[in-house]
Amino acid sequence: MNGHVTITDCGDSALVAKAVGLDAEDAWRLVHALADALDAVRLTGVHDVVPTYDALLVEFDSTATDHDTVRRVLAREAARLGPDPAPTTPPRRFVVPVVYGGEHGPDLPEVAAQLGLTESEVIALHTGSDLTVRCLGAPAGAPMTDGPPFPRPVPRLASPRTRVDPGSVAVAGRQAVICPMPSPGGWPLLGRTPVRVLDLHSDPITAYRPGDTFRFRPIAPRQWDEYADLPLAACHG
Amino acid sequence: MADTLTIRTAGIVTVQDLGRVGRSRYGLPANGAADQHSARVANVLCGNDDRAPLLEITALDFACVPSADTLVAVTGAPADVTVGGVARPQWEPVSVRAGETIRVTGIRRGLRVYLAVLGSFEADHLQGSCAPDTVLGFGPALRDGDELALRTSCPPIDHPFSRIPLFRLRAPVPTFPTTWTIDVTDGPDRAEFGDTGRRLYDAPFSVSPQSNHIGLRLRGAVPRRVTRGEILSRGVPIGAVEVPAGDELLVLHRGRGVTAGYPVLAVVTATGLSALGQVRPGQAVRFRHRTLDQAVTAHRTQRHAVDALRTRVRTAFDALRIRAPLGS
Repeated sequence: MNGHVTITDCGDSALVAKAVGLDAEDAWRLVHALADALDAVRLTGVHDVVPTYDALLVEFDSTATDHDTVRRVLAREAARLGPDPAPTTPPRRFVVPVVYGGEHGPDLPEVAAQLGLTESEVIALHTGSDLTVRCLGAPAGAPMTDGPPFPRPVPRLASPRTRVDPGSVAVAGRQAVICPMPSPGGWPLLGRTPVRVLDLHSDPITAYRPGDTFRFRPIAPRQWDEYADLPLAACHG
Repeated sequence: MADTLTIRTAGIVTVQDLGRVGRSRYGLPANGAADQHSARVANVLCGNDDRAPLLEITALDFACVPSADTLVAVTGAPADVTVGGVARPQWEPVSVRAGETIRVTGIRRGLRVYLAVLGSFEADHLQGSCAPDTVLGFGPALRDGDELALRTSCPPIDHPFSRIPLFRLRAPVPTFPTTWTIDVTDGPDRAEFGDTGRRLYDAPFSVSPQSNHIGLRLRGAVPRRVTRGEILSRGVPIGAVEVPAGDELLVLHRGRGVTAGYPVLAVVTATGLSALGQVRPGQAVRFRHRTLDQAVTAHRTQRHAVDALRTRVRTAFDALRIRAPLGS
């Protein structure tokens, strides 16, 4: 194959392309560019592409195409892109209002204690930089972003919650996420956004895409209603 | 007022299709009929598009009544099917008069029965599919008294008294054994399990009650990962065989979360996934290793059989002047 991508069989209906020998940032950029390239080709039989951090899952109907065809196109597109592809679309920036702590962020005190910081310091770090969306995860379009520059990774909860409210803003390890739908979850919750993160009835369901950035902004609990149910939208400038 | 199909005894029944495609990138799993083959054949037997909405009846007895003359097909697990109290065959189109009760009882050896109606019925869609997504809360189970709007009707086409089955369409009927053989190919992380990977094929596994359309949990002598190190979350295919922890295998099915961080030991084949959609909790499953070529060939053979059936259905429907409802 190419020096920077290996392609492996993944059952009778999928292949995995994995970036190798690249740093995390370049590997992530490559698998997303490769997913976009494959989408653009509209290869018969290929129905789903799932780019994540260093891997791209390509799912297809093996009665309509075959492994060799998909593999050949993946290799060709990988070669065309090279190890350092430009982003397909320019990144956009989303500002996300968050009510921190209290009932909306019940794990804020615990996370602060684990990190040896005050609650204000945790909020300052969480709101202090633009965080890049790396991929969309479960359940349904959850934006998985880089974590804030905390001094060390944040442990998961010892016992996961059976229900996390939609809009909950969580961190774990060196990652951060907004939970778009009510769901079980094992990540500590720092706060909650009143805005509507995604719309299951639009296509695509999210306004954001991998490569875009999120900037969290603290708001007071009394400001909740000002933002309640507004759709999350990219800002200009 | 449009004609309806009224649910009389719901049991566990949902409106299904073949699932939500092209949305994995947004974190939406495929979902759709657990036994894709049986669901596809049911629609083909009604002259419908393969992806038309149909009913997935799970384990429990079911009854419904159409308000117009129509044609239905019942596939999937063996069951007792009656129309107006008269036994009718599975895997063939069956004529139903307005007001007659269609009953599906005694589902056995498998878990799910599919019931398609000529022309299908109206269904809510989300992202291109009517398939329920339990995580999103879309597509609730039907209840007694629910009405589905039929899209078309069909005059009675068999003899009103003798009820001799009119069709002999020879649909491809899968087997429903007591111990299931499920075909798998090597997964991308097969090497991480070293010699213990062979355990997958050595002895049968038992299906845990904590199994559903998201994944099946299987108990037995599980392989062990012999390597260490974190795996970054990545897309995993439907059918991925994982060993999360403890003494259970996890086999991901159509409702699986799109990404996961466990090594993938093996992947259930496309034909194996349809079979797995029929396995009941408590039943035994034996995995059989296949090469990629064998797996793809089996999938194509099964699909060709459905394509050939579609041709026979068209010929029969043309001869009987049954209007095939949806293009395709």
